Amino acid sequence: MTQTPFRWHRRITPWIFILPTVIGLLIFRLIPIFSSFYLSFTEWNLLRKAQFIGLGNYVEMMKSREFLMTLTNTLQFSLVYVVGSMALGLALAVLIDVQIKGISLYRAAIYLPVVTSAVAVGIVWNWILGPTYGIVSNIFESLGLTAPYWLSDPKLALNTVASLQVWKMSGYYMIIFLAGLQAINKDVLESARIDGANAFQSFFRITLPMLMSTFFFVLTITIIDSFKNFELIYAMTKGGPQNASNTLVYDVYLNAFVFYRVGYASAIAYILLVFVGLLTILNFFIKKYFVYSLD
Amino acid sequence: MLILVISLVGLLFAGGAAEKKSGEINLEWWTWDADMLESNKQIIAQFEKENPGVSITNTIIPTTEYWTKIRIQANQNKLPDVFTMSSGYIEEWAKEGLVYNLDSFVEKDDTFDYFYKAIFDTSKEISAADHYYSIPFALVTTVLYYNKDAFDKAGVAYPTDDWTWDDFRSAAKKLTVDTNVDGKIDQWGFTFTGRYAEIEPWVYANNGNFVDRSTMRFNPDKNALDALKMLTNLVLVDKVAPPQKDMSTFKLEEVFYGEVAAMWVDGSWLTDSFRRNIGDDFRWGFVRIPTGPSNKRVTYGWPDSYALAPNTKHPEMAWKFARYVAGEGIGLDLYMAGKIPSAKALAESPEFVDPAVQPGLDMLKLIELAASPMTTSYTMGWSEWRGYGGSDSLGLNGMIDAIINGQMSFDEAMKKGSEGINTVLSRYYK
Repeated sequence: MTQTPFRWHRRITPWIFILPTVIGLLIFRLIPIFSSFYLSFTEWNLLRKAQFIGLGNYVEMMKSREFLMTLTNTLQFSLVYVVGSMALGLALAVLIDVQIKGISLYRAAIYLPVVTSAVAVGIVWNWILGPTYGIVSNIFESLGLTAPYWLSDPKLALNTVASLQVWKMSGYYMIIFLAGLQAINKDVLESARIDGANAFQSFFRITLPMLMSTFFFVLTITIIDSFKNFELIYAMTKGGPQNASNTLVYDVYLNAFVFYRVGYASAIAYILLVFVGLLTILNFFIKKYFVYSLD
Repeated sequence: MLILVISLVGLLFAGGAAEKKSGEINLEWWTWDADMLESNKQIIAQFEKENPGVSITNTIIPTTEYWTKIRIQANQNKLPDVFTMSSGYIEEWAKEGLVYNLDSFVEKDDTFDYFYKAIFDTSKEISAADHYYSIPFALVTTVLYYNKDAFDKAGVAYPTDDWTWDDFRSAAKKLTVDTNVDGKIDQWGFTFTGRYAEIEPWVYANNGNFVDRSTMRFNPDKNALDALKMLTNLVLVDKVAPPQKDMSTFKLEEVFYGEVAAMWVDGSWLTDSFRRNIGDDFRWGFVRIPTGPSNKRVTYGWPDSYALAPNTKHPEMAWKFARYVAGEGIGLDLYMAGKIPSAKALAESPEFVDPAVQPGLDMLKLIELAASPMTTSYTMGWSEWRGYGGSDSLGLNGMIDAIINGQMSFDEAMKKGSEGINTVLSRYYK
């Protein structure tokens, strides 16, 4: 016999190594995803068996005024978050792309909110933006203006929470943009400067086009991150006032764990999945046509 | 190698099985108050000493996860023998047959020698059932807290049980003060939000109702609407209470111990928090909610209870233990101040009313209120339509806040609110 002993080990060994990950993926991701899909066609209050109701949950969603508002809120939140995070992230990256003493301190300070607990952020900003007693109100009053009700006004609540999420997460996108900026060949910018280009022309005609692949990467992840807004809404407004800051993610929580309507919550979760999926596909198509990497 | 693994697993199972001695009764007891871990251990030790052959396992699950976990237990038919039950859910659980029918116990033994029958009956009424499904261990009600020092400064007589809404309003007017004359009110006569514990007491003090129990739809009667109008006018017309949005930085009852509001309506359980947060800073007391113009009243209150699993293997022992932890075998120190024990011995003990600790003899009023007819606005789906916990900015809570914040007119809010509330109610009550 010329075969080395235990040859069969070599074929199954790789599978054994990835088995823990596969089991984890199955139990914590894939099986729940499929169960959730099934549950979205049922009515289940957790007490008894889930009852199959066909498209009942989806029909209820389509007829619900509140759901439509939640949907538009989600899209509005995403818009504010994506535009805000990218603009602020890029601006911050440009600002700190300098070699001065203590620059790491600034970078760390800007990054700090990213790793701060969302609940802590919510509580502190609640105080800062608080009417009558908050710092912002007092500044407004000292200038002779009346401070708006940032979190209690139905017209402002959503944008306030979205902006705070931008403030919290910009540091993260700044780091990514910074990496992109530092990968740009300085010689190109140098020769542009010699040719008489000013800072603006330099930025918009050279830096930005060369940043395109980073740009679209950040666009993809901000779109995905824009749907992760549960913690801040829970800490600050609980979806209020009157549904004004309710988004799909918070609505899933409300329906599943406060109202105990697990079937309906699963249906909402699937609508959320559809939206994230559509936006991601859109993103890929745009990227295909607009990104060119310069070597 | 395989043999080794199998024998190890086998040993694990053998080890687990060896803990159960034959003939011993094991009871599972689930609660939600993490602060009671040590106290619960002592209670169990005492009960096991008095009842040899019985062993109790206490599982404490924090309130945020308790209901989800216990629902899953119900789903699996594995409910603990004795578990904490809330008035908000008892109706649903009784309807689904997930709690043991206690009639046979209550009627044949000396339960009502030890416990207030009125509190048991309140529990039965809240569960909308014809049987006793839970054993209440504490009752809470709502009261009007007032700042005695603020009253003295304004020269207003303290509230009494004879107070009407007009007395209340005129006192609130005199207690709304701009102390440093800068155009901003520094002390409000009263403060409130749309929250259940701040609104319902007034509705019931006028013998009103939010829900028409014959149709199970939201249909506030005239008495209820009068209560809501009186309250919203405090903000919009009388200007003796601030809009909810102005006080959003405060954690609700903070306005009282922070001396921003001279009066505050909320649950009697805040006695505990006020004792700690106020200390000797100022003198305070409480009185029952002033009576409305209808001159008829019902008290707003509800019990926290224990329930038994419907398929418990040891109903008699579970009942005995439930009575023990519901008041027979425990001390007053285990009750949060302001919660009224359902066990007569505890409620009538001298420790319950300590004249040396604020609010002193006012505590006697709680026992008086506990004995009076009580009602609540609880229905199935209550937290969704009322606006509570994770949904406290929505539902009726959000609607009332919208009125006092000037975001919606009274009629608009009532109309829009009714539609939303009845959509929820029609899901549970066809």
